[in-house]
Amino acid sequence: MKIKIDYDLCEGNAVCMKVCPEVFVVGDDDRARLLDKNPSEDLRAKVEAAVRRCPRQALSIE
Amino acid sequence: MNTIDVDLCNPESFVAAVPHAAFQRLRREAPVFWHPEKNGPGFWAVTKYQDVVAVSKDPRTFSSAKKGVFVFDPVPDDLERMQLMMLNMDPPRHTKLRALVNRGFTPRMVAQLETRLRAITNDIIDKVAAQGACDFVAQIAAELPLQAIAELLGIPLDDRYMVFNWSNRLIGFDDPEYQGSWEDGKMAAMEMYGYANQLAEQRRAQPGDDLVSVLMNAEVEGERLSELEFDLFFLLLAVAGNETTRNLISGGMLALIEHPDQRARLLATPSLMPTAVEEMLRWVSPVIEFRRTATRDTTLHGQPIRDGDKVIIYYISANRDEDVFPQPDRFDVGRTPNEHVAFGIGEHFCLGSNLARLEIRVMFEELLRRLPDIELAGPVDRLRSSLINGIKRMPVRFTPERTRQVVGG
Repeated sequence: MKIKIDYDLCEGNAVCMKVCPEVFVVGDDDRARLLDKNPSEDLRAKVEAAVRRCPRQALSIE
Repeated sequence: MNTIDVDLCNPESFVAAVPHAAFQRLRREAPVFWHPEKNGPGFWAVTKYQDVVAVSKDPRTFSSAKKGVFVFDPVPDDLERMQLMMLNMDPPRHTKLRALVNRGFTPRMVAQLETRLRAITNDIIDKVAAQGACDFVAQIAAELPLQAIAELLGIPLDDRYMVFNWSNRLIGFDDPEYQGSWEDGKMAAMEMYGYANQLAEQRRAQPGDDLVSVLMNAEVEGERLSELEFDLFFLLLAVAGNETTRNLISGGMLALIEHPDQRARLLATPSLMPTAVEEMLRWVSPVIEFRRTATRDTTLHGQPIRDGDKVIIYYISANRDEDVFPQPDRFDVGRTPNEHVAFGIGEHFCLGSNLARLEIRVMFEELLRRLPDIELAGPVDRLRSSLINGIKRMPVRFTPERTRQVVGG
């Protein structure tokens, strides 16, 4: 599963990190980053929740 | 369903309690309901979770700028001024302005405030702890957000009561206790602008690391913020960072008082605090609704909506949607998952959510530790408003604290 972060939209609300800490982290630059560039399928439900919950709609699954 | 027994734009309908039964009926029978208005054209009342989310995530179809985000239809002069405020903007300008202040509210910035906020919280509790009784709203709930926002904006601490007064008059336009008229709200705004301009002048001469200094030196599309833009920014931050958190803390406390089993559970298992905070947010929903205006003919939940129609999204109803939250009328401090929309979602997602969560968590951690048996000592006085789910007064009593405790960060 490939995940895309749109950095024009991301503003570091860190909702993704709360929903799916296995994959997302918000670092010192206040931007979301992928801890796992290619997460396994068993994380799909959580990743989808993170995509859905992102307040800025900055995440997508490619 | 053609009629409802509760007038959702009459603030009187929210004085005794939030009309949850009416919202439940709307969700079940008419999720996108044409609600008549006494002094207006009427509006679509959107009460289901998925529809509130869909409208929020589509600002091109459902505009915040076209007529602003409040139920009433502003006269052109007022609208023009309102549109200078982020709340009443659409992308792309909204996105650019938001990026300016956002850096003051990121999780990293907010985390740095925890020690300071905990000290402030304990000072607040110190003032009442030995008395055994107080007004929970004025003496506890209102103080933390006021002091937090004063800290962020660099407002001298003694000036915070002016901010309290202005924001009461601005938000309380439907409550005669705070304001007789829409005009007095404008007066309060003017007073606040005057104050903001003084502060701005000071910071221009002596910049600090507060948000006012950041805003003074900010450029959007190569231009500095105008005086009015700055004033409105200040007003938005001062009001939004104030009312909502205050009412969440009061409403959250009331929920714990009314659900003693849940308070006992939280006292026994403090690690439930993060889910308890989310449940308080869902339960209280301090912002009842905001308005959008359709920019084209469209459909929502199968209901045709015409270009120009007024659409009101009820966060407070979405947060009780039985299709999303099992047993939505149960207050459950361990509720998981809890994807509430108390902060909204989409472009206008609450900028201060991280700060609000921190304030709420710290406040309840300290309250439960020091005053674990707070109970009501008189009637709860609710705000007369169809916009803000607020409490004006909540007399409480508790076992007085014997010794002043030394508190670690």
